[in-house]
Amino acid sequence: MRAGIFICHCGHNIKHTVDVRYLSEYFKKIPGVVVSIDYAFVCSEPGQDIIKESIENQKLDRVVIASCTPSLHGDLFRDLLKKSGTNPFYLKRVSIREHCSWVGDDIEANTEKAKRLILSGLYAASHYIPLEEKMVEVNKSALVIGGGVSGLSAALFLARMGIKVYLIEREKELGGHVRLLNKVWPSMRNGKEIIRELIDEIERLDNVEIYTDTIITNFEGFFGNYQVTINNNGQERKFIVGGVVVATGFTPFDPSIKPELHYKKDKRIVTTLDLEKGIEYLELPKKPRVAILHCIGSRDETIGRSYCSRICCINSLKTAEEIKQRYPDSFVESFYMDVRAHPRGGEEYFESLQEKGVLFTRGNVAEIIPTDKNIIIRGEDTLLGEVYEKEFDLVVLSIGMSTAFDSRALGQLLKISLDKDGFFLEAHIKLRPFDTAVKGIFIAGSCSGPKDTEESINHGRASALKLFGMLNLGYAFVEPFISYVDPKRCSGCRQCEEACIAKAIKFDEKLRVVKVEEAACMGCGLCNATCPSSAISLKGYFDSFIADEISGLLEIA
Amino acid sequence: MTDKTEKAPEVVGFACSYCTFKASEMAGSLRMKYPEKVRVIQVPCSSRVDPAFVIKAIFEGADGVFVSGCHPGDCHFIRGNYFTRRKMAALKEMFKAFSMEGKVKLFWISAAEARKFIEKITNFYNELREEKNAGKKN
Repeated sequence: MRAGIFICHCGHNIKHTVDVRYLSEYFKKIPGVVVSIDYAFVCSEPGQDIIKESIENQKLDRVVIASCTPSLHGDLFRDLLKKSGTNPFYLKRVSIREHCSWVGDDIEANTEKAKRLILSGLYAASHYIPLEEKMVEVNKSALVIGGGVSGLSAALFLARMGIKVYLIEREKELGGHVRLLNKVWPSMRNGKEIIRELIDEIERLDNVEIYTDTIITNFEGFFGNYQVTINNNGQERKFIVGGVVVATGFTPFDPSIKPELHYKKDKRIVTTLDLEKGIEYLELPKKPRVAILHCIGSRDETIGRSYCSRICCINSLKTAEEIKQRYPDSFVESFYMDVRAHPRGGEEYFESLQEKGVLFTRGNVAEIIPTDKNIIIRGEDTLLGEVYEKEFDLVVLSIGMSTAFDSRALGQLLKISLDKDGFFLEAHIKLRPFDTAVKGIFIAGSCSGPKDTEESINHGRASALKLFGMLNLGYAFVEPFISYVDPKRCSGCRQCEEACIAKAIKFDEKLRVVKVEEAACMGCGLCNATCPSSAISLKGYFDSFIADEISGLLEIA
Repeated sequence: MTDKTEKAPEVVGFACSYCTFKASEMAGSLRMKYPEKVRVIQVPCSSRVDPAFVIKAIFEGADGVFVSGCHPGDCHFIRGNYFTRRKMAALKEMFKAFSMEGKVKLFWISAAEARKFIEKITNFYNELREEKNAGKKN
């Protein structure tokens, strides 16, 4: 074995709590280690050049890179090894940033931990065998789940680039929630118009199939070849797609969860979404007194929604303006926790409304008491420290976003994870905000967290662009981490066949041994842990790799 | 930080790449702290963990081993973690004969639960530390 160890400083991220100089000196003494270098940024171009040169000059056959977590820059370093002429699966990534320098403060203990981690990585790498990635064809088609504004934007983008798109929508009509909006911030255009424009453009293209009133019933396969079964209005249909954009959006918060708000019991208590239909139907007096309550269903621990919904402050401001325009002599008071006028131009809009005479009072409303004549509101003004009690003709609840009601079921079907609030989780919050952990499945719009219309369109297009980049290549590499059987050791007990979840293991009646169907194997390694005679192994995670990794972690050095 | 005479336990963890390892990455990114003696080995699925690995880790000097995967029903490999649950239950039953059942723990931690990851492993670590230093004080 000719191993090379490359230890990254990651600027100060690793260096400040791990003695990298000591580590690189220490590993020089380990037998089998030819190169041991510490460098400021291994992922930078000069850093990559160092690795490449070392591999070429020193004929390295194992490369251990101790840096950030393996899911970051994994492909980058694998490609680097490929370019340098070694098998990319001779690479071992050791995480000494997320799992060491960032989670401990003590330099001595951290250095010791990093030493053990790298040592165990080196031990595991010493057993590595060259593996080959299998190239598979990618189906140039995409499934877009959800026909809201982000789903439509994603579908339109993909279709324009020549990808066959299947757009499915649970409701009878496309358009999602934007269709219901009278004025959409910031252009203040009608939501229906925006949706109409998108749908018109999509309908002009002939490579989009739209299914409304449809749900997904089954989903399997891998990137480039996902088999989807849908239920379209009672009819079952099947098709194969290369990738997926999930844009299932949100459900508006239902205030009837909180009975103290008296929503639906009193018609003078409405939500901002109700008001998108117009305010005429409410038959208000000439000089109405209107209260607007912020943060309904947002930033509220008691109902498990501790997040900010981002859109409701602008919605409240929009409502206040609407009322002021319709009834110039009205009295509008807004009860807020914090006004977070997020989008561009939001703060100016907030100020312009203050100038128009909308009163803003800091302090959430504690009690709503509907009487025959009017509605009494009680609460505490947290700036003045006084309790207020005021009368109003209309109470507007500025509702936030909740997750789509079936997002958990969909997440289980597509095998993508949810965050603590129930929104879909991105692969990396900063570096891969559109990807999920599953290759070829992207998230778009407010199914991944509250977003306004502008952001949803951007998110949809960005996800579509990323998916297009992957589909357009026409091929993909499948990770070679699948099981294989050593027929000499196999006793034919068929325990693995019984355990295999993917049904990838078949028994050969003639030879009395099992066989693995490579295309079906998911690479979980369950068979490997089940086999009593160690005849079946998961490539990349052999028993010997993990056993030596354990030894490396615990060895008395 | 701690008393010099106090012995610190060694903890080895097996974390599945789709849930717990992601949670541990997130815990790192959020700069949450946990004891340095806790070290994690990445496995594709918690079902890849052969009980033999747990025994090996204990033989090699680990004071505690945890195996951690996705929540039941959320497994990336559909049902892998159910197999883990059964294997670990059997292993614990075996360890009971040696009063060692406290040395093995099985956790369900999803990719978003960085805080839970920290809580679980810190609690486990503290339990082991108390056990290891039992009777030493006074």
